[in-house]
Amino acid sequence: MRILVVEDDKLVASGLKQGLLQAGYTVDVADSAEAAEASLQTESFDLAVVDIGLPQADGLTLIRRLRARGSPLPVLVLSARGSMEDTIRGLDIGADDYMPKPFRLPELSARIRALIRRAHSIANACLCHDNLTLDTGRHTASVDGQALELTNREWAILEILLMASPKVVSKDRLVQSLAGWDKDITPNAIEVHVSRLRAKLAAGRIEVRTVRGIGYRIDAAAS
Amino acid sequence: MPLPVEVLDERPSISLRQRLLLAILAPLMLVFAISVFLDYRLAKETADAAFDQSLADAALDIAAHIQTGESQVSVKLSSEAEAMLRSDGSDKIYFAVRDGSGHLLAGDADLPDLRLAAQGQPEFKDTRFRGAWIRSAVQRIDSPLSEITITVAETLSKRNRASRKVLTAMILPNLIVIVATFLAVYVGVRKGLAPLAALEREIATRSPSDLREINVQPTPREIWPMLSRLNELFVLLRSAAEAQQRFLADAAHQLRTPLAGLQTQIELATLGGRFESDPDRLARIEDAAGRIGHLVDQLLIYARAEPGAAAIQPLEPLSLAVLLEEAASIFLDRALAKGIDLGFDIESATVKGIPWMLREALANVIDNAVRYTPVNGVVTVRSGIRDQFPFLEVEDNGPGVPAAECSRIFERFYRLPGSSGAGCGLGLAIVREIAELHRARIELANPVTGGLRITLIFSAFGEQTQALACADSAES
Repeated sequence: MRILVVEDDKLVASGLKQGLLQAGYTVDVADSAEAAEASLQTESFDLAVVDIGLPQADGLTLIRRLRARGSPLPVLVLSARGSMEDTIRGLDIGADDYMPKPFRLPELSARIRALIRRAHSIANACLCHDNLTLDTGRHTASVDGQALELTNREWAILEILLMASPKVVSKDRLVQSLAGWDKDITPNAIEVHVSRLRAKLAAGRIEVRTVRGIGYRIDAAAS
Repeated sequence: MPLPVEVLDERPSISLRQRLLLAILAPLMLVFAISVFLDYRLAKETADAAFDQSLADAALDIAAHIQTGESQVSVKLSSEAEAMLRSDGSDKIYFAVRDGSGHLLAGDADLPDLRLAAQGQPEFKDTRFRGAWIRSAVQRIDSPLSEITITVAETLSKRNRASRKVLTAMILPNLIVIVATFLAVYVGVRKGLAPLAALEREIATRSPSDLREINVQPTPREIWPMLSRLNELFVLLRSAAEAQQRFLADAAHQLRTPLAGLQTQIELATLGGRFESDPDRLARIEDAAGRIGHLVDQLLIYARAEPGAAAIQPLEPLSLAVLLEEAASIFLDRALAKGIDLGFDIESATVKGIPWMLREALANVIDNAVRYTPVNGVVTVRSGIRDQFPFLEVEDNGPGVPAAECSRIFERFYRLPGSSGAGCGLGLAIVREIAELHRARIELANPVTGGLRITLIFSAFGEQTQALACADSAES
């Protein structure tokens, strides 16, 4: 996986580079929007981390140009301005996620993982999470290559949870998403599906955690 | 934001309406009173003159009965004639005929001898007689033997009745005119001042963040100069708030970027394990950097939540349920790391507010609960509608807050005695600032299960409520 870091502050840029290298990514650094464009046109990346405050053209301009060219590259915006307006404008223009400065490396890594996973699921019709693989084209799931027998609803719930990870998914959202097949599905029915799903995932290294009063989240299983 | 109203003058202010009513009605009343008084006097004088004339006539009638003999003057008044003279529907008639030395020739001896008239013209006077007021006509007649004074008097009932009649006849129409004038003036003044009342309502119902200029067109021309000054002030306030926002954004940028660099470098050093000789020291440095970052964040949030800065940020409808779902994703890992059971109790409710502020307020209350609740504690976040008002609530089973400290914990940089040094002391001050901006009330309670419950109640806009309420044990 190759990541382009667009950041003009040397300290932050070098920290990001080292941290992402340690997380197992290949990292290129550009210190301006212009340098970033040059790199993006000649080489291919799996994700870009873009600071909004850059000299000359700012990060938002870079993202706008990228999207104008039709690039599907996942973009995570770093914002030091702390103003929601900048962030919202960034997301409107086509950024996929944002992190306010100062950030914690583990959280940044988690966001990057989620973005890359999502981009891959769209490109390859495949969602991977640890040893669990979800084939979104054929609606099949497997743990370590071992096929899982999932009902349509269990499969749909798992897909929604994996797509949203590391965010919490509310039971209401699951009800709304599943209402397409089953108009009368209730939150209680969701609970039943989730408990069956848990039993089937027992062999895997992930689990469906219940968040009291809201819903569920995919977590690494406690060993 | 309910701004404090400064009372500049202790004297009670007189409203424009009172001023107008007083200035118009007081002179009008005076004019009416004078006019009624003059009319009454004229009518009474006319009536009195007529009554006096008939008294004088009676005196002359008596004069016709005076006979002058050889040596004395006598009055030959038959009993019929006297009865005629004394007969009157309502008044008692008295008379006395006296000669020059005051000797009574006929009539009532005790009738006062007034002797005031010169010869010829009758004269009139009011006196007391037998316990009542009487009007006397005095006529002097010259006779060859002696000067003769004829006094005819009557009680005043006829005259009083007449003046009462005149008075009633005059007061009733005048009263109608007065009441009608009063009503016309009152309604007119009220109508005339209606645009002011409308303007007052518009300003009163304005949200504190609304710094748009007031539309001058529909208001009376007289207050245009005042409103344009006010609008100029609005423009100034807006540009000041915008300048402050720019400053904050710049300061945030300048502070956050080096902090991010510092923090990342420290984290890398920790991960790399290159400081094996003293890993604790590095952990402490990392913790300090993290706290500085948190403090910068909180300071900037606190400054941006200030009424002046908040004034230029738009209010939007916001779902509290969505707010809680977002908070779940943000706080779950921290709660899990501490073994805290973080749960939610969501009922949908919508409030109008500044989204990032409400997000921060909730985050700060949850942060506080997770921070101070001991390992394996329980934190529950609730939303919904209670007594028609939307609310946000965070309850924990941590150490709670003693009643004596409960208002102080919302002060900037105040820390509970003996609390651990993890927080920066701004979290609840931010919550309070944001609550005030949204006219939300903060309630603090110590539930029976122990711990602390903080509730933000979003009361109707414009309703004045005490910002902070503390209850020792509000649990039933």
